[in-house]
Amino acid sequence: MTTAASYLSALSQADARARSRADSPTSTPALSLSSSVTSSSEDTTLNEVDRENSDGLSLPPRPPTSEQVFTTVHTEFGHCANEEYRSTSRHPPGTAVPRTVEQEPPYYVLFFTYISYLILLTFGHTRDFVGKHFNKSRYNHLMPNDGYAPLNSDFDSFYTRRFKFRIDQCFSQPVTGVAGRTIVLLDRYSPDFNHTQLLTGGRTRGLNISSYNYLGFAQARGGCADAVEESINRYGISTCGARLEGGTTDLHILGEALVAKFVGKEDAVISSMGFATNSTFIPALVGKGCLVISDELNHASIRFGVRLSGAQVRMFKHNDMKALENLLREVISQGQPKTHRPWKKILVIVEGLYSMEGTMADLPALVELRKKYKFYLFIDEAHSIGALGPHGRGVVDYFGIDPSSVDVLMGTFTKSFGAAGGYIAGSKTLIDHLRVHGHSGAHAESMTPPVLTQVIASMASIMGIALPSKLSGSELETRHPGPVSPKLLPQWINLPPALASGQEGNDRLRRLAFNSRYLHNGLRKLGFITYGHSASPIVPLLLFNPGKMCIFHRMMRDRQTPIVVVVVAYPATSLVTSRVRFCISAAHTKEDVDCVLRACDELGDLLDLKHGISQSERWTIEEITKRAVELSHM
Amino acid sequence: MPLFAFGATNSSLTALEPLFTFLTTSLTIAEGAFNKIPGSAVVLRYVKSSHQNDPGRTILELILVIFAIRTLLQSRTREDRNGNNFIQFTPKEVDELVDEWTPDSLAQPLTPSEQADLAAVPILAGPTGPKPKLINGKQVTNLASLNFTGLAGNEHIKQQAVETLRRYGLGSCGPPGFYGTVDVHMALERDIADFLGTEEAILYSQGFSTISSVIPAYSKRGDIIVADRGVNFAIQKGIQISRSTVRWYDHNDLKSLEQVLEGIEKERKKRKQPLTRRFIITEGIFERDGAMVDLPKLVEIKMKYKYRLILDESYSFGTVGRTGRGLTEVYNVLASKVDMIIGSTAIGLCSSGGFCAGSHIVIEHQRINGPSFVFSASMPPLLAVSASEGIKLLLSKSDMLEKLRVNIYEARQILDKFDLVTIPSHPDSPIIHIYLRAPNDCPTSSSFLHPFSSSSNTKPSNPTSALPRDASTWTWDIEEEEHLLQEIVEEAQSQGVMITKAKQLRGQENVEPRPSIRLAMTSALPPADTRAAVNTVKAAVTKILKRRK
Ligand SMILES: Cc1ncc(COP(=O)(O)O)c(C=O)c1O
Repeated sequence: MTTAASYLSALSQADARARSRADSPTSTPALSLSSSVTSSSEDTTLNEVDRENSDGLSLPPRPPTSEQVFTTVHTEFGHCANEEYRSTSRHPPGTAVPRTVEQEPPYYVLFFTYISYLILLTFGHTRDFVGKHFNKSRYNHLMPNDGYAPLNSDFDSFYTRRFKFRIDQCFSQPVTGVAGRTIVLLDRYSPDFNHTQLLTGGRTRGLNISSYNYLGFAQARGGCADAVEESINRYGISTCGARLEGGTTDLHILGEALVAKFVGKEDAVISSMGFATNSTFIPALVGKGCLVISDELNHASIRFGVRLSGAQVRMFKHNDMKALENLLREVISQGQPKTHRPWKKILVIVEGLYSMEGTMADLPALVELRKKYKFYLFIDEAHSIGALGPHGRGVVDYFGIDPSSVDVLMGTFTKSFGAAGGYIAGSKTLIDHLRVHGHSGAHAESMTPPVLTQVIASMASIMGIALPSKLSGSELETRHPGPVSPKLLPQWINLPPALASGQEGNDRLRRLAFNSRYLHNGLRKLGFITYGHSASPIVPLLLFNPGKMCIFHRMMRDRQTPIVVVVVAYPATSLVTSRVRFCISAAHTKEDVDCVLRACDELGDLLDLKHGISQSERWTIEEITKRAVELSHM
Repeated sequence: MPLFAFGATNSSLTALEPLFTFLTTSLTIAEGAFNKIPGSAVVLRYVKSSHQNDPGRTILELILVIFAIRTLLQSRTREDRNGNNFIQFTPKEVDELVDEWTPDSLAQPLTPSEQADLAAVPILAGPTGPKPKLINGKQVTNLASLNFTGLAGNEHIKQQAVETLRRYGLGSCGPPGFYGTVDVHMALERDIADFLGTEEAILYSQGFSTISSVIPAYSKRGDIIVADRGVNFAIQKGIQISRSTVRWYDHNDLKSLEQVLEGIEKERKKRKQPLTRRFIITEGIFERDGAMVDLPKLVEIKMKYKYRLILDESYSFGTVGRTGRGLTEVYNVLASKVDMIIGSTAIGLCSSGGFCAGSHIVIEHQRINGPSFVFSASMPPLLAVSASEGIKLLLSKSDMLEKLRVNIYEARQILDKFDLVTIPSHPDSPIIHIYLRAPNDCPTSSSFLHPFSSSSNTKPSNPTSALPRDASTWTWDIEEEEHLLQEIVEEAQSQGVMITKAKQLRGQENVEPRPSIRLAMTSALPPADTRAAVNTVKAAVTKILKRRK
């Protein structure tokens, strides 16, 4: 593809250019490097933006020296060579699992938050009342009309129409390009108070701390994308069928074996959609006469699946192991309602990392309870797989627990692997049962080859591929978490050395761990209220007041370096705890995190968001950026 | 006037009840603490005077308190009800009970026949297509994969996909609400809506999960669903999760549908029930047997009784009609007459995902309320582009569908004359189901040309049960037939034709479907090959059935 000489010359050119700060119309070295694969991949819109650097996103602040070799595009995966900005995601052995204490805001904040909702409520009802009487045509679709009941009554949709609608510009923003370190927004505006959103045709590149791209595998160039291209050429786009009806290829078999090896289970089954992994396989796990105990904040897909299963459901307070134990004692001693017959089985379903809270399941406690109360443990690792643990194997790895202590490990590929779909891993008996009795096997389309290849390539580069001579076969198979044997990979996948050796994967894991801790602790030291575990790449920052969501979102986007954020409120959170949720990635550089912290610092003062630790304990933003490494070890 | 306002807000509050309880209780706490803050008196005075100025708010707050009290009382009564059944144990007793309890194993091992079936699932080595290679190195003719249009392996689409990959990467890494709406998704939604002639369309990332998400987005507890007894598994699950009131009508029998609708209307009038949302749910071409619904008649009925129609076109979109627009094209019915058309871009366009097309109001509603739309990442951009390209090819190269029709015709020519089997599928259906003929089976395929005309002298079926009225006369032994069909599948495969049984989730369906072999026609095979392959299947059936005797 490219020779070392051409690379070096490109690099030195870029070096010189960046040093002199002269704007020349050639692209960055990494761009010219990796776009060599196909000429058609030269994307005009992307390069257009890349050329100028007024937003500070396209070129690294510190130009690479000639010893540093970056194989990624800076806008997709940031260049960061400083080995200090690395950390390990691991629970310190022998220490207690930290209890998350939720900081309370001052009362006046809560008070005005309620007042805000009251005002919205009053306005909403008044407008509905007036509108229904004096502007009937616009309310037709909300009222019985021509013998049809409304699809959506005004009562059911009140929250959507009167609350969410006002801040609709924060949601469903269309984008283009790679959801990597940066993302390109398609600018839009609404001429009629959010009834319609029109695209202006303009584009804004922003720093992306919103996508679930934890390990930065959302890339259009690089070893994984090359493998995906190869797979399209070899396998085409689709396998045209359900897994049991002719839609299975050898890639599926390899992929499933690889996932099983990755998470340390006997076998695994793959499904083409993360949501469907829960909603179509849980009904095959439990049924009538079984009990599901579910964390109150579990994802909608889990609830969907449980509801379809016909099993009884009980919930316990989020992450409260005491409450879980009490509940377990109650349900086991009482048995099934009315009949008091013993339960056939009890399945406890928790998430590894909660997507709105950033909290982590208290796995050591769960494993203890499992031993004592004999329930089956199901962990949804949608967000934690790849993102946590020294080897990226999720919460199980983070706490150093043997995967055999968990019965069912579920996860998705949408997040850390930059792909789509999900898996369930467990014992061979269990997985075979799911293959036959889960809804997906017989009816849902199987995962497509390009997606499978992205999963295989990214997963293999996190694990590293073992050199055949180093380890004997049996040792390779049993060691967990170890590298993957080349036999488990399709022969045509040819990862570049940095990925194949697992060195880059390891680097990504350590960069993510550093960025997570740095952002989390930095925000805390600035005086913000954040939720969740400091090792979590999901960092919620509390805004409380619904009005602040919109303005925060807007002001972040309108900065010199635009920052793209996700704001969430009721019903995804409780009514008062509206928040902005950052999803940090290994693709971000330390400077990117600085940039986010600096923006938050300014907005925090402006919008009165700093209600966390007391003034005296806070650090200034300068101090924080300077002592980043120290912060990341706190 | 104030009284009226009270009434209006009152019922709205029922829907928002949890919100208000939380609001009010927290408000009280906050207010108590607020009084302790210096200067609070000033604020309080302000609030009070504002109450005087705005009686509406005072009423509101009053209602809040009433509701808080009601809910508190309610939850206590709920606990009491529980309490009747609650046995008090000492901690020691609980410990003993915990020790005694032994749960069932998480999953039962497969039965030998399930195991054999699973082991016999064909695995392709390399790409799918009309003549794929199996993992044992053998090349087979493919009548199993859903490659109706023959778009699998299309070089143009592959190239477009690679280009998309190089611009967008693979995954979208976010749900549509949070930066997962990529311009190519919007383009595909536009393409589908324009193709079908609806106002809008919404894209889901898996075909199977589409309709089971669409149904509960609209139909809630208390709403009425009238569904065909033969609907596919995804619809059954959607109906189940919606918790609506369900009435069933005989499979593809629109007379029976009318009777059921008539009955519902009568009952509603008798009981003076309020108007609720009402839906008819059926499929265009049924996944289970390939029968086709009479759309013009169905639309007429739904208009007459004022029901909304949810039509699952997973198997008819991209396969029937001159350009593959599905049933609306076959019957020349305006797509806007069908309230929701659900299709699969995985099946019809050889990509992945599903969609729902309809009016602006219908689609917007799903963007907030469709569970698997809201809570799942959007589909990878390159798959969306592949689907868009598929539509373009359908529009420009309609001889794909021409070839498909020829192949269907060729296959039916052979199968319809074959007396060991019955074919329940419509002659235009790209999926052809094959039942083994039981001695007392009589329907001939000609009766499927038109939807059933139910013999009026039999008494109508019970609409509250999913079980067809003739279920008691069914004579086939599911286990035995499954076994025979599996032998036929394996025999055909050994003769170089890959086919599959229609896989059913036994024990999870509303009604156990009759075991069948499902052939999927493809335009990628020349007619001669199709004929040869179907003849091979025929020979396999003959051989296995002969062995049985
Ligand atoms: C805990 C959990 N499970 C499942 C899913 C669904 O995954 P996907 O987006 O791949 O459908 C998500 C994604 O949001 C999730 O957070």
